[in-house]
Amino acid sequence: MLPTASPKRPQSLEDLIDARLVSRLGPLDIASRKVFFGKLKGERRSKKRGESVEFADHRAYVMGDDLRHIDWNIFARLDNLFMKLFLEEEDLSLHLVIDASASADCGSPSKFEFMQRAAMSLGYVGLVNLNRVAVTVMGEGEGGIAGTIRDLRGRRRTRDLARFICGLAPGGGFSFDEAAERIAVSRRGKGVMMIFSDFFFKEGYERGLRMLVGRGYDVFVVQVLSPQEIEPDITGDLRLKDVEDGDTAEVTITAPLLKRYRATLGAYTGALQKFCTARDMNYVSVRSDTPVDALIFDHLRARGVVR
Amino acid sequence: MTWLTPWLGGVAAAVAVPLLVLLYFLKLRRRDVEVSSTFLWKKAVEDLQANAPFQRLRRNILLVLQLLAVAAVCIALAQPSIKAVTVTGTRHVILIDRSASMSAMDEKDARGGAVSRLDAAKQRALGIVGALRDGGLLSGRASGDEAMVITFDSQAEVRQAFTSDTAVLRAAIEGITPGESVTRIEEAIRLARAHQPRRIVEDNAIEGLTAGTPLTIHVISDGRIADAAEAKPGPDDTLEFHRVGLTDGVNVGIVNLRASREYDNPSRLTVYVSLINSGGQERPVDVELLIDGTSARLKLTKVPPATERESTTPGVMLREVGRAGVVFQVDLASGAAIEVRLREPGTPLPPAEDVLAIDDRAFLVVPPAKRLAVLTVSRVQDSWLDVALSGLPLSRLVKVDPARFEQWAREGRLGEFDVIVLEGWVPPPTAAGVPGELPAGSYLVFGGIPGGLGLRDAGESGLASVLDWKRDHPVMRPLLLDRLRVLESRRAEIEPGSGALVVAMTSEGPAVIEASSPGTHAIVVPFAIDKSTWAVDPSFVVFVAASVQYLGEDVGVGATIRDMQPGMVITDRLPSGAENVEVLRPGARRAPMQVGADGRFSFGPLPAVGVYEVSWRGPAGPTDRTSAGGAARLYAVNLADEHESDISAADNIATASKDAVANERASTRTDRRLWPWLLALVLGVVMLEWFIYNRKVAI
Repeated sequence: MLPTASPKRPQSLEDLIDARLVSRLGPLDIASRKVFFGKLKGERRSKKRGESVEFADHRAYVMGDDLRHIDWNIFARLDNLFMKLFLEEEDLSLHLVIDASASADCGSPSKFEFMQRAAMSLGYVGLVNLNRVAVTVMGEGEGGIAGTIRDLRGRRRTRDLARFICGLAPGGGFSFDEAAERIAVSRRGKGVMMIFSDFFFKEGYERGLRMLVGRGYDVFVVQVLSPQEIEPDITGDLRLKDVEDGDTAEVTITAPLLKRYRATLGAYTGALQKFCTARDMNYVSVRSDTPVDALIFDHLRARGVVR
Repeated sequence: MTWLTPWLGGVAAAVAVPLLVLLYFLKLRRRDVEVSSTFLWKKAVEDLQANAPFQRLRRNILLVLQLLAVAAVCIALAQPSIKAVTVTGTRHVILIDRSASMSAMDEKDARGGAVSRLDAAKQRALGIVGALRDGGLLSGRASGDEAMVITFDSQAEVRQAFTSDTAVLRAAIEGITPGESVTRIEEAIRLARAHQPRRIVEDNAIEGLTAGTPLTIHVISDGRIADAAEAKPGPDDTLEFHRVGLTDGVNVGIVNLRASREYDNPSRLTVYVSLINSGGQERPVDVELLIDGTSARLKLTKVPPATERESTTPGVMLREVGRAGVVFQVDLASGAAIEVRLREPGTPLPPAEDVLAIDDRAFLVVPPAKRLAVLTVSRVQDSWLDVALSGLPLSRLVKVDPARFEQWAREGRLGEFDVIVLEGWVPPPTAAGVPGELPAGSYLVFGGIPGGLGLRDAGESGLASVLDWKRDHPVMRPLLLDRLRVLESRRAEIEPGSGALVVAMTSEGPAVIEASSPGTHAIVVPFAIDKSTWAVDPSFVVFVAASVQYLGEDVGVGATIRDMQPGMVITDRLPSGAENVEVLRPGARRAPMQVGADGRFSFGPLPAVGVYEVSWRGPAGPTDRTSAGGAARLYAVNLADEHESDISAADNIATASKDAVANERASTRTDRRLWPWLLALVLGVVMLEWFIYNRKVAI
């Protein structure tokens, strides 16, 4: 809950993921629950044209269609030309979105550091499996975007990714709606989008998430909360100050108020989960003191994000 | 509720409350804490307020408690007080009447059963003890109220001296038993004042004057107190009268029982019974006469009801009990113990609805019928006295000289004579100069002043005439002494406290004195007959006859002897040679009694009504009963008091210095101050605040 006192920021790839985790992450691959359709052979050129062999459907031949895909067996039987339609697999795009606001830099251990490690681990898995990896950082900046790195592919870009992530500095505030809009407009391809944030947005998360969902992305919402946010350890007559906007709240923290706070937090996370589930988004809530490998191997693998 | 200093409380509230509110807002310095987001906290607080109707109050609970504490202090400063059931003063004297009328069964207990007035009085007393305030913080005093318990009938007894130990007081009250004697409160009040601790009034102008701590005297009684006007509570004392008993109690009782023998036929005994009725209805009763325990006569009589008449003071009604009399005539030559009982007509039961049983019986001891034997001691032959005595109907008249008298006294032969007349001679002084005393007996003395009777010979006196005489005295009733002149006399002086009564007074001193000592009863005329004009006056013969008759009543001519009331002390003298003296009380066993060498004894105070018997081995007196080798003397003890038998409870007690109106409640309502309780509330509030503060801070 409180801003992390003099945080020790990760400086290198090794700070983000250690060798043991690297070895465990090696066999993993990013998966999408959705199968992305639509790129028929001949309809639009594709980099991976012809690589797919999975039959999907037939349709009537029209002028200009690739003659190689005519189903001659049907023509022999029916004396009509039908085109064979195949599923086409594109390379998967992994889009990691990190909340770098001042509130993310709270808690012990720091929520932002946890997000850094989680993003690096998943990015590594994506790079290793030749997926297209992009990282967008929501924070102080134009349109709520503090920085972006995209189109990383292949194991050799691991260090670039690590350098980018290590170079992030949380601070200030941003509008999640603006940031989501900017991400929705600027993204390319389809794939998996993982959003790391505490989702403590005063204007709400609904509009932003609504913009991100339904555009070909399988959206994973990872809500990261610090232990102090879940079980506050502050008491007495306090003036609470919001680290992002400086807003203050004078509260006398009593046992009933704490009980009510926990209930409010539970209701808030429950509403977020319900919102995500209703829109076919995956929702995971983790504490910032959860080991990253536990996040990946327990939470995400159970939900089919990695396999 | 009343406020003793409301302005002080108001000023304190006007200053303290705004100051506290101001301080409350000033004092709260909140600690700044940065959090990731405040909106969850705000939402939680809003939820809490929405769910708690008194959340605004709860948020400021400490302020509310502090305001409450300040309000309590301010109210305490205003010194509120309420009318509470309590008692005033710090020293209480609880006087509990245990006289005969307190045995009347006209009170009700909690279950509605009839209880005696004394039981009700004890409950009242316990109520007063329960209302005593303890010492300690909340009483505002270091020590608690103190009380003492005195019970009184004809005599007062301290049951418990001043103490604040309520258990001891309760035990003292519980232990009070009913008495059967009359009510005398004066001694009880004196006893209470005697136990009053003294304090010196320093600012009093009269040096050395002391006064006691003011007492609160609780008189728990039915108010039938004969001597209330003689009681003198202290000027600072408070007198409270807690009345028990009904004002219209029904009682028929015997208030007087007398007997007489006819002068010419002494064996004919006439018994007079006086009855009263304190109820408002006419009461028929059977009056039964028992002689030595055997029923002899029964008469039905109707006792009229009590009435009210207007007194000379307008608006004040005087109450008169109903009265009736019954006369029995029986032939009874021997001595006897006579008992008179009241019965419900036609039944052997006591009168119905009669709440006081003690006065339903009365006792009388009558001596045997006899004529008097008179001994004259004189050196004068053929005196005027001989002439006067010779005309009386005596059984025996003997005249001796002083030497023979002294010899007979030594031989114990004087018991043969009922009255001894001394003319011009009294027992000479002893060698040490002490006046000679008369042997036991009844004496009529002329021309001398005997010793041992509380009289002192102050020398000669000259010519004198009679100034005044007691016209109601049995001896003087028929006399006119206007023409009596005394030429020469001994001057008699009465020693203080002797009890001697001046019956006739001359300009030079007493002319006729009645004096007595245990065993001796005398009428003393200090001048000689021949030194006065009395001998030639007809009144002299009448005087001698009346005196012999009067003195003879002691020993048998009358019919009422040794009639006493409960609470009195029997002081009598047995014949010399009496041994193994025992006393038999009503309802008790014979008990040995110590008797002096000269046969004198005292017994008492007499606890109950009835016939008391003193028996001994040895010679018997003229009126004593005799049996084989022994003798017995009876004493009749009766309530015989109209004040006690009239059991209607009084409305007030009027003492010499204070009046007290009947108070039906167990205790009085007085101001009880509340500020100690408010300070206790402040303490409680502060402790609660501390608890809540800790609970708020420590989660």
